[in-house]
Amino acid sequence: MQLTSFFKSAATLITATCLSLSAATAAQADTFPSRPINLVVPFNAGGGVDAYARALAAGARDLIDVPVVVVNKPGAGGLTGAQSVATARPDGYTLLLTSGGSFLLNTMLNASPVDMFENFQFVSQIGQLSTALMVPANSPYKSANELIAALQENPGKLRWAHSGRGGFHYIAGRAFLESNNLTAQDVPFKGGSPARAALAGAQTDFGFMGIQQARGFGELIHPLALVADERDGIMQDIPTFKELNIPFVNIGSPVVVMAPTKTAADVVAQLNQYLEQITATTTFAELIEKQGTAALYAQPAVIEQKMLDMRTASTPVITQLTGQVQ
Amino acid sequence: MDILVGFATVLSDPWILVAIALASIVGVVIGATPGLTAAAAIAMLLPVTYHVPPLYALAFLYVIGKSGRFGGSIAAILFNTPGTSASAATQLDGYPLAVQGKAGKALKVATVSSVIGDTIGDLILIFGVAYVAQLALKLGPPEYFAIYAMAFVVIGSVIGKSMLKGLASCLLGILVALIGLDSVSGYARFTFDSFQLMNGIGLVPVMIGIFVLGEVFAQMDSMKSGQDTVLHSTAPQSAEDSQLSWMEYRPCLPVAIRSAFTGGLIGMLPGLGSAVAAFVAYATEFRRARNPEQWGKGALEGIAAPESANNAVSGPSMVPLLTLGVPGSTIGAILMGVFLIHGIEIGPTLFLTSRELIFSLFATGLLGIFCYGLIGYFGSGFVGRLIMRVPPNIIYPMIFLTAFVAAYANRSSLFDVLVMCVFGLVGYVMRKLELSTAAFVIAFVLARGAEESLRQALLLSDSGALVFFERPVALLFFALGLGSVGYRMYGLYRDKRKAAALHKTTGNAGESC
Repeated sequence: MQLTSFFKSAATLITATCLSLSAATAAQADTFPSRPINLVVPFNAGGGVDAYARALAAGARDLIDVPVVVVNKPGAGGLTGAQSVATARPDGYTLLLTSGGSFLLNTMLNASPVDMFENFQFVSQIGQLSTALMVPANSPYKSANELIAALQENPGKLRWAHSGRGGFHYIAGRAFLESNNLTAQDVPFKGGSPARAALAGAQTDFGFMGIQQARGFGELIHPLALVADERDGIMQDIPTFKELNIPFVNIGSPVVVMAPTKTAADVVAQLNQYLEQITATTTFAELIEKQGTAALYAQPAVIEQKMLDMRTASTPVITQLTGQVQ
Repeated sequence: MDILVGFATVLSDPWILVAIALASIVGVVIGATPGLTAAAAIAMLLPVTYHVPPLYALAFLYVIGKSGRFGGSIAAILFNTPGTSASAATQLDGYPLAVQGKAGKALKVATVSSVIGDTIGDLILIFGVAYVAQLALKLGPPEYFAIYAMAFVVIGSVIGKSMLKGLASCLLGILVALIGLDSVSGYARFTFDSFQLMNGIGLVPVMIGIFVLGEVFAQMDSMKSGQDTVLHSTAPQSAEDSQLSWMEYRPCLPVAIRSAFTGGLIGMLPGLGSAVAAFVAYATEFRRARNPEQWGKGALEGIAAPESANNAVSGPSMVPLLTLGVPGSTIGAILMGVFLIHGIEIGPTLFLTSRELIFSLFATGLLGIFCYGLIGYFGSGFVGRLIMRVPPNIIYPMIFLTAFVAAYANRSSLFDVLVMCVFGLVGYVMRKLELSTAAFVIAFVLARGAEESLRQALLLSDSGALVFFERPVALLFFALGLGSVGYRMYGLYRDKRKAAALHKTTGNAGESC
């Protein structure tokens, strides 16, 4: 008898818990977001991509009732963090903010457990990172054409610095050399800052690195041409390869926010709307501009198409690279 | 005398002083807690810094970085678990002292040495910044490799009795370091298609595994065979054991000063970092020590050398950070982020555009050293006495637990916990086979950077390996490394001859009797 009553009360308790839980989930679904949103950055705090996340979190404060929490999960060139989001519960509370170009090229270069298009859906683009051809300030080459002439005269003799072979700066540089039938020796450095230091100290003849890296280094580094169709929003006096009529492949890196594939469409739409609003705020724009990179908003469909185009454009270079090693 | 202007700015603002005091406390606590790294704490605090003036934010973070490096020694000494990777060398002599019941004394030596190293480092920064900046710009991969090569040479001094086993440990360390993405070609090596291994093996789980778990396993083993297994001394502690007299510290003073310059030099080269500085200083001082038999068993000099060197990195590492935008550590990278967020352009012109801010920051650094010095000196006796009252059967599991927490928290990765366990076994087997764990860890720390700089240097060279002869600075470092090997060999030869001569005379004396 006592035992039965125990079971009864236990059953009641369990039912009640289940009911209240389901009620809670229903309430949650009604008012997304109802708890903090985790924004995973697959790089260390203090870097360029991280700054976008921090600016986003700061801009979200006035618009969204719940806090946006930046979580740094560095490792494997950004794939560790990406994988953690891909396998997270697709409820819209765990999102990935990353450099789209580096993510894409990394998965193309290495056997990767995650795929940009299969495991994720795009929420929106919030920024753009561009790379530029740069030389040391005391370099004899004063323009991109002079450098090309020197490269033609001394095939394979000149050296160039970049931030690592998985990154979009390297692929952009390789694509530039290929398009102009030039050869040069690349020297990979671990990250953008050491590459810039090597260029500033004239350890290499030229380099491909983020255009924002030239800010404050005017005495030591001269950017010659930007890998883009249009000039940079901040460094406006640097011509693009397109204006100079020099063949190139337009490889940049859109900064994107992505959610796991199975996230509900209305949640993604809601998030996209928030991001559109946040990127339009002055808080966000100012924070991003201070670090020298650009804020750029684009709808999910637009950015997905951009990334697909970039995959097509970089496939020849990647095939050549992976072919080299085999 | 920009630094005086800096001091005037800082001292006239009580809120900055509050920030410095607070940062010292936060830094020591974070550094002392294995698993809580200063970098993680700074990253958490980063959003706050958007809303305060740049000097407040920078001073706060800079001082946390300094006091955190010191705080790391507390966990290393008390629990044999480095609070930060920079304090890994400190545990070699610090923990044996704690076992002897002299934790308080060890902590005081660490405090005084950290303060000396940090102050010398900051003075190098303040008075030499212009020259150092010029020098840093000229140093490229060939010079880096030369320094790594010199650092590799010093492993010889920790190798122990058997040269062959020492070299084997060293090669094992290099092999483990090679796991992961090759930083030059970008391709995976020794990853066995494991995604987790692509990232490489982390220093923190390896160190905790080898030094803490390996030690625990070895202890358990000796317990089984009925040997003495006391982990911490239960002997009643006399007040003397947590005090530090001038006579005791006097032999440490030259060690601390020399190590500060070693650390300062390494600090100027971004990427080498505090851990390398600590190991190089430890090995260099061990080589010149008058009491080598005490090293590794609780020599005060063995704490003074790494603690002075790892803190001396702090100041000079600001030079490449501020002038070249190359951060030497995670904390450095975050500091750079703060500059950028506040719209201050880092680069060669920084000292022209923001001179006052920079020198005020340097002034806060010196005040921060003073602050954590006070905390460390007066707090260490108390902490030391407290920890001695805890019985070994509580301390033991606590160390074990902190090991797991520390391994996980460093990168919030369960894989790292697995790595730690594996290296616990590796450490145990190495102890059984009498391989040198210290040589293993130092080789592991140095290998990746050495390989990268060697390959970069060769890529940059028109004349292959001859590039090292074309660069005077690189040549100088090679000469220093070879010189120290030569000096050691000469020393061994001389000792042998002396011993032989002594043997001869005593032999003759015996005959005449």
